[in-house]
Amino acid sequence: MKASNKFQVYIPWMILVAIVIFLPVIISSSYMISIMAFVALYGVLAIGMGILMGQAGLFSLVQPTWFGFGAYIAGILAARGLVPPGIGIIVSAVFVALIAYIIGAPILRLRGLYLACATFGILIIAQISFVQLGELTGGHSGLLGIPPLTIGGFVFKSDLHYYFLSWALCICCLMFCSNVINSRVGRAIRASHDSETASSSLGVNIPKYRLQIFILTSVMASLAGSVFCFYLRFAAPSIFGFHLLVELMLMAVIGGVGNVWGPLLGSFIITWLQEILRAYLGHFFPVMTGEVTAVFFGVFIILVLIYMPRGLVGWVEQIFRLGRRIYEHIKSSVAQ
Amino acid sequence: MNTSKVPLHNSKHHNIGLGRNSSLLDVDRVSKRFGGIQALNDVTFSIEQGSIISMIGPNGAGKSTFINVVTGIYAPDIGQVCFQGQDITRLPAHAIAYLGIGRTFQLEELFPSLTVLENAMVGCHTRSRCGMFSSGLRLPSAKTEEQRIREEAMENLTMIGLEHKASDSISSLPLGERKLVGIARALGIQPKFLMLDEPAGGLAAHEIEKLVKVIDILVNKGLTLFIVEHNMPFVMSVSQRVIVLDGGQKIVEGTPHEVKANERVIKAYLGEEV
Amino acid sequence: MTPFAEIIQYIISGITSGSIYAMVGVCWSIIFLVTGIMNFTTGEFVMLGGMLTWVFLGAGIGLAPAVILAIAATVAIGIIVERLALRPVRYPSEMTNMVITIAAASIIKGIILITCGSETRVIQALIPVKQISILGAIITTQTILVIGVLAVMAIGLSLFFNRTLFGKALRATAINPKGASLVGIRINILIVFCFGLAGGLGAIAGIVIAPITFTGYNIGLMTGMKGLVAAIVGGWNMTGTVLAGLGLGLIEGLFGGFISPGWKDAIALLVMILFLIYRTISFSDGVNKV
Repeated sequence: MKASNKFQVYIPWMILVAIVIFLPVIISSSYMISIMAFVALYGVLAIGMGILMGQAGLFSLVQPTWFGFGAYIAGILAARGLVPPGIGIIVSAVFVALIAYIIGAPILRLRGLYLACATFGILIIAQISFVQLGELTGGHSGLLGIPPLTIGGFVFKSDLHYYFLSWALCICCLMFCSNVINSRVGRAIRASHDSETASSSLGVNIPKYRLQIFILTSVMASLAGSVFCFYLRFAAPSIFGFHLLVELMLMAVIGGVGNVWGPLLGSFIITWLQEILRAYLGHFFPVMTGEVTAVFFGVFIILVLIYMPRGLVGWVEQIFRLGRRIYEHIKSSVAQ
Repeated sequence: MNTSKVPLHNSKHHNIGLGRNSSLLDVDRVSKRFGGIQALNDVTFSIEQGSIISMIGPNGAGKSTFINVVTGIYAPDIGQVCFQGQDITRLPAHAIAYLGIGRTFQLEELFPSLTVLENAMVGCHTRSRCGMFSSGLRLPSAKTEEQRIREEAMENLTMIGLEHKASDSISSLPLGERKLVGIARALGIQPKFLMLDEPAGGLAAHEIEKLVKVIDILVNKGLTLFIVEHNMPFVMSVSQRVIVLDGGQKIVEGTPHEVKANERVIKAYLGEEV
Repeated sequence: MTPFAEIIQYIISGITSGSIYAMVGVCWSIIFLVTGIMNFTTGEFVMLGGMLTWVFLGAGIGLAPAVILAIAATVAIGIIVERLALRPVRYPSEMTNMVITIAAASIIKGIILITCGSETRVIQALIPVKQISILGAIITTQTILVIGVLAVMAIGLSLFFNRTLFGKALRATAINPKGASLVGIRINILIVFCFGLAGGLGAIAGIVIAPITFTGYNIGLMTGMKGLVAAIVGGWNMTGTVLAGLGLGLIEGLFGGFISPGWKDAIALLVMILFLIYRTISFSDGVNKV
């Protein structure tokens, strides 16, 4: 690989890190900073969803559940003072990885829509559990009494702290996933999405890699959930259900699942859109803003799927590819 | 032609008897049924190392099913498949790839989401071991392995003459080149035994010429080839031995000339020019 | 109530809800078999039946016309979902269709919530209420109506699919769409018909259950899911779906009565997951080791 190519690869990352670091300098509103923190956290979920659906071809609808487990387990452990909050994050991630391993092995053998049904079932069962196990979780009204996150004496208090923490998590996940997608395992998974028979004939152990990706995305979601609960100091069953699932799907779809970055862009767009709608529609529908937003998002998903099925990133990629082809065509005809 | 059915555990070899350990693949009484259709019926033969075998037969004779059974996509109802003396009958497909059996597909089955080079790199999957963690963290071991795979894949592409199209998408290639990419991809596992499913199907004359050149290269490398084909001149010129399948059964086995003149074969093709 | 009578009571309520699951399951099956689409708006059809009836009743229309209007409106909505949301997609995939129907369900739910509010609604009994005592438990005429409607639906659909030309055309399309269109069956019209039919049947289910369990903007999700469970466990055919739906209702009723009403909803989904896993295990013969 040419040296200039190698450097080119790092440019998007440097731009992203630069934006994240310098944004708080430009924006002083802590409201906007906190929204950006949520962009990062939901982005982690959406990236996972994008990998599962777009690269691996798995219709897994269970991301909100792992998010919820990450939040509840870390939250409960911290609220009861059983472990330091930082350890709680790790404990919930390990627990989620274990559950994902146990559930994943049988479930990932289901194809397509049936996997969607089964994971949707898990989503609902988990939500019911969050409500029913009231002594642990606080039931409908939610988990309270979560202390702020402290790691090594440093207390994460302000929006800015959680902003940087969330983006650190998001960028790490993005890097890890991007590396995986462009590596041996990533190629194997993408190949198995295109042709199971051909990839197995080349030595790809499809169930093993599917399970690995499943566990990876579950751990990502759990970590995001833990940060989420320490930020909000709150967790409630209604957060981790159907509504979040629809939002995640929208983020993945509008950003485009063909690329790891797409869903992050989707998270940015949708999270901000939701805030804008909430503010704007709050005038007209003061009580119903959440539901009106849901209607709006529903229409949005359908329009995107009809007119821009590869999402924004896919659309941009298409334009770039077209441009490149035109450029090479011109280059070769000039060379003649 | 001696087709004695000596039980496999007594002797690993039927037929040619070229010496004790020359048999690469032994197929013993393989049968496979799908619902009401007997796709393979009591198929038995052996293939020695370094040979080039063709399998011909009318459409629906079971040729692709046979490849699928050997490569582990299906398990036979009855019978046994042994590779280098090891029973591979119930092994899953990916394990069989690790043992060194590669194949191509009648309908190419390439990976459209990947570039040509990436397709070939998937072929080299068995040649590396880095897992999700080392790849995700971009550990040095992963990076060196990735570089090595890339080079190996490029070599395979160069062998078929398509290295200049490494970054192209699959959909931009004509049929002949797609089939060659399929071969380059299968070569990634560094197979000892390569099964080609209708490699010449749908190809124009100049593309078939290129295919024959590639096959020559493979033969010179010492690969054992098993080719399923319809194209008779191609089969006749390339193979050392021909097996004829009809209705799932092996009806004839012999040299190209013997088979060409065989009445049953002519009848099976119903007057088709052999 | 004696314990025995309690059991009977739970069985009765179980069969009642089971009948609804069966009806909803049939709605899922009709669309899935003919088009291969899992239509997640099915649950919302049920919700629309009850809610629209309430709306029309509130507008001062009599019961019978309100019911008919509600059914007609739901049929129309089903057709709209197909025409406007599903048909325009250029390269439909399973995932795309699923996401679209989920989005459409969200839209329908949201619109009803905005226009009708979030409280549960009651519609009056459809037939004069009488209570009959069976083995110490009470069964109302409403319940008998539900079961009766299921029976009529099942028999009617059976006759339709087996005896009429149109019904057979539908079955043909389900088995082999290309072949069906080759013999002149207009698949597009059939697909529209399926969505409309599912809409209508779903609405009927929603209407007959509304006087018993009330109705509200959010009942679509769980009812729809349980109908899906019935369809999956029942193998997508009519008899299986009906039996699975009734069985599911029974299990749910007994579990909810004796063990825990809070976890009741989880039972259906657990059944579905276990069934699906069981199917993958029992399907692994030598056919596909991949």
